[in-house]
Amino acid sequence: MVDYLWNTQSPLQKALVPGCHGATGAHPGVTLREVRDIVLVQVMARRGKAAETAKAAKKLFGVEAPATPKAVIGKTATLVWSGPDQFTVIAPRTDEASQLAAMAQAFTGSASLSDQSDGRCLIRVSGARARDAIAKFSSLDLHDSVFPVGTAANTSVDHTAVNFWREANGTDGHPVYNMLVFTSFSDSLWHTIVDSSLEYGVEASSAKAA
Amino acid sequence: MSGYTGSEPLGRTAALEGSTPSARSQAASASQSHRLRSGGLIDRQQPLQFSFDGKVMSGFAGDTLASALVANGVKLVARSFKYHRPRGIITAGSEEPSALVEMRSGARKEPNTRATTQELYDGLVAQSQNRWPSLRRDFMSINQLAAPIFVAGFYYKTFMWPAKFWEKVYEPLIRRAAGLGKSAELPDPDHYDKAWAHCDVLVVGGGAAGLSAALAAGRAGSRVILVEEDVRVGGRLLSDGGEIDGMHAEEWVRRATGELASLPNVRVMVRTALFGVYDGGVYTALERVNDHVPVPAPHQVRQRLWRIVAKRSVVTAGAIERPIVFPGNDRPGVMMASAVRTYVNRFAAMPGKRVALFTNNDDGWRTVEAIQQAGGDIAAVIDPRGKVPAEYQALADLSDLRVLSGGVSDVKGGVDGVRGVIVTDGNGRKQQIDADCLAVSGGWNPNVGLSCFHRGKPVWRDDIAAFIPGDAPRGMVMAGAARGEFSLGACLRDGHAAGAAAAAECGASGNAGEASEAGDETYAISPLWQVKAKGKAFVDFQHDVTASDVTLAQREGFESVEHLKRYTTLGMATDQGKTSNITGLAIMADATGRTIPQTGTTIYRPPYAPVAIGALAGHHRDENFHAWRLTPSHHWAAARGAVFVDTGLWKRAQWYPQPGENDWLESVTREVLAVRNGVGFCDVSTLGKVDVRGADAGTFLDRVYINAFSSLGVGKARYGLMLREDGIVMDDGTTSRIAEDHYFLTTTTAKAGPVMAHLEFCRQVLWPELDVQLSSASDQWAQFSIAGPNTRKLLQELVDPSEDMSNEGFPFMGAREVKLRGGVTARLFRISFSGEIAFEISVPARYGAAMAQNLMIAGRDLGVTPYGTEALGVMRIEKGHVAGPELNGTTTADDLGLGKMMSKKKDFIGRVMAGREALTAPDRQVVVGIKPIDVKRRLRSGAHVVPKGAIPGPQTDQGYVTSVCYSPMLEQWIGLGLVERGRERFGEIVRIHDPLRSEDYEAEICNPVFYDPEGARQRG
Amino acid sequence: MRIACPFCGERENGEFTYLGDASPKRPNFAADSGESPERVEDAFYDYVYLRDNVAGFMREYWYHGGGCRSWLIAERNTVTHEFRSVIAAPGVGAANPVQAGE
Repeated sequence: MVDYLWNTQSPLQKALVPGCHGATGAHPGVTLREVRDIVLVQVMARRGKAAETAKAAKKLFGVEAPATPKAVIGKTATLVWSGPDQFTVIAPRTDEASQLAAMAQAFTGSASLSDQSDGRCLIRVSGARARDAIAKFSSLDLHDSVFPVGTAANTSVDHTAVNFWREANGTDGHPVYNMLVFTSFSDSLWHTIVDSSLEYGVEASSAKAA
Repeated sequence: MSGYTGSEPLGRTAALEGSTPSARSQAASASQSHRLRSGGLIDRQQPLQFSFDGKVMSGFAGDTLASALVANGVKLVARSFKYHRPRGIITAGSEEPSALVEMRSGARKEPNTRATTQELYDGLVAQSQNRWPSLRRDFMSINQLAAPIFVAGFYYKTFMWPAKFWEKVYEPLIRRAAGLGKSAELPDPDHYDKAWAHCDVLVVGGGAAGLSAALAAGRAGSRVILVEEDVRVGGRLLSDGGEIDGMHAEEWVRRATGELASLPNVRVMVRTALFGVYDGGVYTALERVNDHVPVPAPHQVRQRLWRIVAKRSVVTAGAIERPIVFPGNDRPGVMMASAVRTYVNRFAAMPGKRVALFTNNDDGWRTVEAIQQAGGDIAAVIDPRGKVPAEYQALADLSDLRVLSGGVSDVKGGVDGVRGVIVTDGNGRKQQIDADCLAVSGGWNPNVGLSCFHRGKPVWRDDIAAFIPGDAPRGMVMAGAARGEFSLGACLRDGHAAGAAAAAECGASGNAGEASEAGDETYAISPLWQVKAKGKAFVDFQHDVTASDVTLAQREGFESVEHLKRYTTLGMATDQGKTSNITGLAIMADATGRTIPQTGTTIYRPPYAPVAIGALAGHHRDENFHAWRLTPSHHWAAARGAVFVDTGLWKRAQWYPQPGENDWLESVTREVLAVRNGVGFCDVSTLGKVDVRGADAGTFLDRVYINAFSSLGVGKARYGLMLREDGIVMDDGTTSRIAEDHYFLTTTTAKAGPVMAHLEFCRQVLWPELDVQLSSASDQWAQFSIAGPNTRKLLQELVDPSEDMSNEGFPFMGAREVKLRGGVTARLFRISFSGEIAFEISVPARYGAAMAQNLMIAGRDLGVTPYGTEALGVMRIEKGHVAGPELNGTTTADDLGLGKMMSKKKDFIGRVMAGREALTAPDRQVVVGIKPIDVKRRLRSGAHVVPKGAIPGPQTDQGYVTSVCYSPMLEQWIGLGLVERGRERFGEIVRIHDPLRSEDYEAEICNPVFYDPEGARQRG
Repeated sequence: MRIACPFCGERENGEFTYLGDASPKRPNFAADSGESPERVEDAFYDYVYLRDNVAGFMREYWYHGGGCRSWLIAERNTVTHEFRSVIAAPGVGAANPVQAGE
C-alpha cells in the first residue's frame, strides 16, 4: 500500500522569494511577510440573531466582536469586521479540528460559519514606506487620523476584494497593515505589492502565524 | 560627463573631460552667446552639455531645454505642422504651442515634448521634428507655396474623392508631409506607476496665490497638498519679482517654502501637473519623477500618475498671456512678453539683443525694464493705445524710449529669426524697426480650464477683456490670476482667503494667519486681437491655423465655436489651444458681428496637458495588464509542461503536451481517449463556489433556480439552472446539500462574480425575510474532476477503505465527505460533465498540489492522465452539454433542451417572463448537434446555418454553429449549434456558410448528445 | 466618483457596481393563486423593463461588491452625479428581521 502524503503548499510558493529586493539601502522601506498556517472563519449572524452572535463571540473570545470596520484582538483570535453583521475570526492554526469545533458549538443557532482558512492568504505589509507602497495599489486613505491602529476596511485591489486592517506599530515604530487576499489572486497581488515596493527596497519572508 | 547615453555624437565631450569644474564652467559660458553674466535661478557651477539636432551646446543646472537654447542664441527650433514654416520658442511654460522636440532616442524616444518644460540635464539629446532633411533646409517647406490648398477644411475638400484613396494614398501622404514627432515604436523600457493621495485641501499651482492658499490652509491645520507643474514653486514671482511683506519676492518664496516644509500636514509636490477633475473631488495629476534625468535610477519610475481625493480644491493656476494675430507673428524670435522676461530674469538668457515690444496692456510694459536692466536695447514699444501708461512714464522719459502707436503689420526675417518689424500706424503709414526679437502681449487669459471640466461656462469680464471662471465643479474655488485677480497684492489676499475658507469648510479650526501684503499694480488693457494686413497671420501655431482660416470657416457657415474648432482644427493640437482658443473666437466674433461672450467657448475636457499612455497604464502592462488567478495545482501543472490559457482572469491548463506530439490536437485527442478508455483528471477549481446557509437556504434556492432544491436530500447533488428575471438563462451548475441548512452551490467559471452579486441581490433586496447567509468559497477548495471507466478503481486506491465506493454506496449524484488515505478529509460529488463515470473531489486548497500528485500515484497502474480544458470541452460537446457559447445571454431553458426542468409549482426568478410568446415560439433557435457530411471537413464555430439550396443571407439564416471540436470517438469534427426548429430537424442536411473563411459545405443536424445518448456510462 | 457606503465610509466608485432604478418592486406571485396570467405578465413586464428616464435625483441600486458586499440604495442626481443619500437595502446584515414585501 502506498503512503499518501498530503504536503501543503502556500499560494505564494513561487511568487515569494525570501530576501531583499529592489533599491538597496540601510533599511528596506517595506517589509512583506506571508503569515502562514492560520485558521480563518467567516461568522455571519443569522436573521435577527445579531445580538446572540455578539454574545457568543464575547463568551468565546472575551471581547466584543466589531460592529463597525475595526479589528479587535481577543483571547485566542483576532476578530476583523468583514461586513454588516459579520466578522472574520483569524487565529494561528494549532489544533484545527478542535478550533473549528469550538466555534461551531459556540455559534450554534446564532450564526453561520464558513471556513475560509484556505480561501485567503494573509500578507503583512510594514515599514517606513509601507504607506507609500500601499498608496500605489489601494485607494484607502491610511493617514493616522483616518486609519489608526485597529481600523479595518474591506476594499478592492486590482479589482479584487481585500480585507485590510492595521495592527499595533512595529518595534521600529512604523505602521503594520494586514491584507487578507483571495488565495487564487495572491500570486498576482504579491507581484503588485512587490512591484509597488521596489523603489523603497523590500524584504520578503514568510512565517507561521503566532 | 557621466550619464550620457544618447546615440548622437557629442563632438566636444572628450575635450572637456578631465577639465576642472571652473574650466568647464568657463567653457560652457563661452558657448552661451546670449547668457547674461549674472543673475537668474541657474547654477553656474553646474554646467551641463546637451545636443540639439546633433549640435553640442551647453547650459546650466536650472535651465529648461528652451532657456538653454535661448542662451545659445538658437532661435529656429521647429517646423510648423502644415506649412513647415520655421518656428521658434514662443512661451516659457506648459502652454507652449511651437517649440516641440523629440527627446532621447531608441526605445526611450519621446515626441512632442515641450522644450519649455523639459528640464536640462547633462547629456540631454533632442531633435527637431517634422523636417527633412534638416531643420534649416526643410524640403517640405514647399508646402508653403501650395498654401492655398491647405486652408481650413482642406482634408474634407481636397481628399474627398475617390474614397478608397483615403486609407492607401491620402492619409499616408498627409501623415508624412504634415505632423508632429514620431513615436519610438519599441516597448518603453521605463517603469510608470499610479498612486492615490488624500487631503482636505488641494492647491493647484504654486505661484503667489497658491503659496498663500497653502500657507493659510496648512496653518489652520488641514491636510494640504500643493501641486506645481514646474520644478520649483513661485510661479510668475520667479520671473517678475516684486516686493512682498517688505522683502524681495525671491526671499518671500524661500520663506514660504520653508514654512510649508515645516508643516507636517502639508505636502508640496513639484513637477506635478494637475490634468483632470472628476466627480466627488477626485483629481488626476502627472508627476514627472525622472524626466529630468537620462535614465531613471534602478527601480525608479519615470512618471507617476496621481489620483488625489480632496474635500476642497483651490485652483491658483494663474493666467496665460495671449498672442496678437498679425502677419509674420510666427517668425522665430517673436515671443510672448512674459516669456521674454522669464528667460531674462529667471534664466539669465537674452532672447534678443534688440527687442521690440508690442503690447496693448500695462503688464507688457514690465518687459522694458527687464530688458534694459539686463543690458539689452528696446528698439521700440508699439502700443496701439498710443500713449505711455502713467506708471511707466518716468521710465520712458529716462531712457528716451521710442514709443509708437499703431500695430505690427509684418515681421521680416527667415530661418535665423526676426530681423525687423513693420509698424503701421492709424493712418496707414509704415515704418520698419530693426530688432532681433519681438515681445508680444495681447493681455492675459485667466487659466479657467480646470473650472470648466464639469461643463462650467466661463464668464466674460470686459475690464480685463478675458473670460473668468463661471460655475466651478463642487468643492473647487479659483483664486488669484486664475479668476482675473492680476495684481500681486490681490493674488496674495485672494489665495489666503480661499485657502483659509477651504480649510475651515474641512473642519480645521487653527489660525490661518494673515495674508502677506504687496502692492496692487494697475492692469489697463485695450483689447486688440488682430492686426489686419496682408500675409499669413497665425492663430493656432501648432496646427497652423491662420486668421483667414477662421474667417473662411465663417464664410462657409461654420460659425459655432464647436464647428469652427473641428473645421479648422483650431485648438485641437497637443496644446489644446491654450494660446489660441480665445483669440480664434475673438476673430470669429469680429467676423460675425457678435460679441465674444455671444460667440462662446468650446467645451473644456481633460486632460489639461498631454499624458503618456504609459502613465495611464502604470504597473498594468505586459504580463501585469490585469490581475491573474492561479488554481491550486498550477505550479504542478506548469512543472509537467502544461500549456495555459487565459479564461477570464484564470490561467488554466489547456493541455499537457507529451514528447513526440506534433500539435495540440494530438495532445487533446490522447487526453480524451485516455479518459474515455481509462481515467483522467482535470483541475476544475475555477468553478464558482458559494456556501449557502441558513434556515431558509432551501426556499431561497427554490426561488433562484428553475428547479426545486428544498426537496434535495442531504448528501445529494442536483444540476440547477438559473434565469435572469427576463426569462433568459443566466447560469448553470451543480448544487449539493451538505446539511439541512447548508448547500454548496457551484457556478460556471465565467459567471462566478455576477452570480454572487445576483444571489446577494436576491437575499438583501428581494427576500430580506429569509434567513440565508452567503459566502464565496471559490478559493477555499481545490476541486478536481476525475473521469473515465476506471475512476472508481482509482478512488478505491485513494479513499480510506472504510468508505463504500460501490454504485449503491455512492450512487450517481451522491455528495458527501470521505476520508482519504493519509488522513485528509475530502468532499466527493458523483457528477459527470464528460459522460463517463466521474467524480469531483474537493480538498482544502493547501492540498491542491498534493492532490494532483496523489491522483497520479493512485492511478499509476491505470494509466491516469491529467487533462486540460480542451479535452474537457471536447467531451462536453460529445455529450451535448451546454456551456458559455450556448449560455450566451439570448437562450431560454427550452432553447437549451432543459425546458422540462422548469417547475410549475413555484415562483422563481424569470418564470413569468420566460413564458412570453416570443420566448416560447416554436421557431426559436435551439441547441442541436451538427456533423459535416464530409467527415474530413473541419467544422468552425460562427458559421451560419441555412437550408440546403437556399442563398445565404439575412432572409434565409437559421442559426449558427456555437461550439466545435474534433471528436476522437466519432473520428470527425462535430459541433453544437443554435438552429431554428432544430429538434424537429434531426437528420436534415443543411448548408453551412462561413463567409469570413470563405467556406461552404453541407452538414447534418443531429441529436446534440453524440456519445452515449442513453447515459449508461456515467451511471455505471 | 466617490460613494459613501453607510458601512465602509466614502469609497472609490470602482468598488461598486450599478444596477439601476430602485423604485420598481418585484411583483408577488404565487403559482397557485389563480391570478390571471396576463395580469401577472403585465406586472412583471413593468418590473423588468419599464423605467423612468429621470434627469435629476433618482433612487438607484448600487452593490458594494468590492467592499462589504452590501446592496445599497442611493439617491443620485443623474445630471450632476451628486449623491444625496446612501442607505442599505432592507436585507443587508442580519440585525433586524424584515417582513416580506417591504
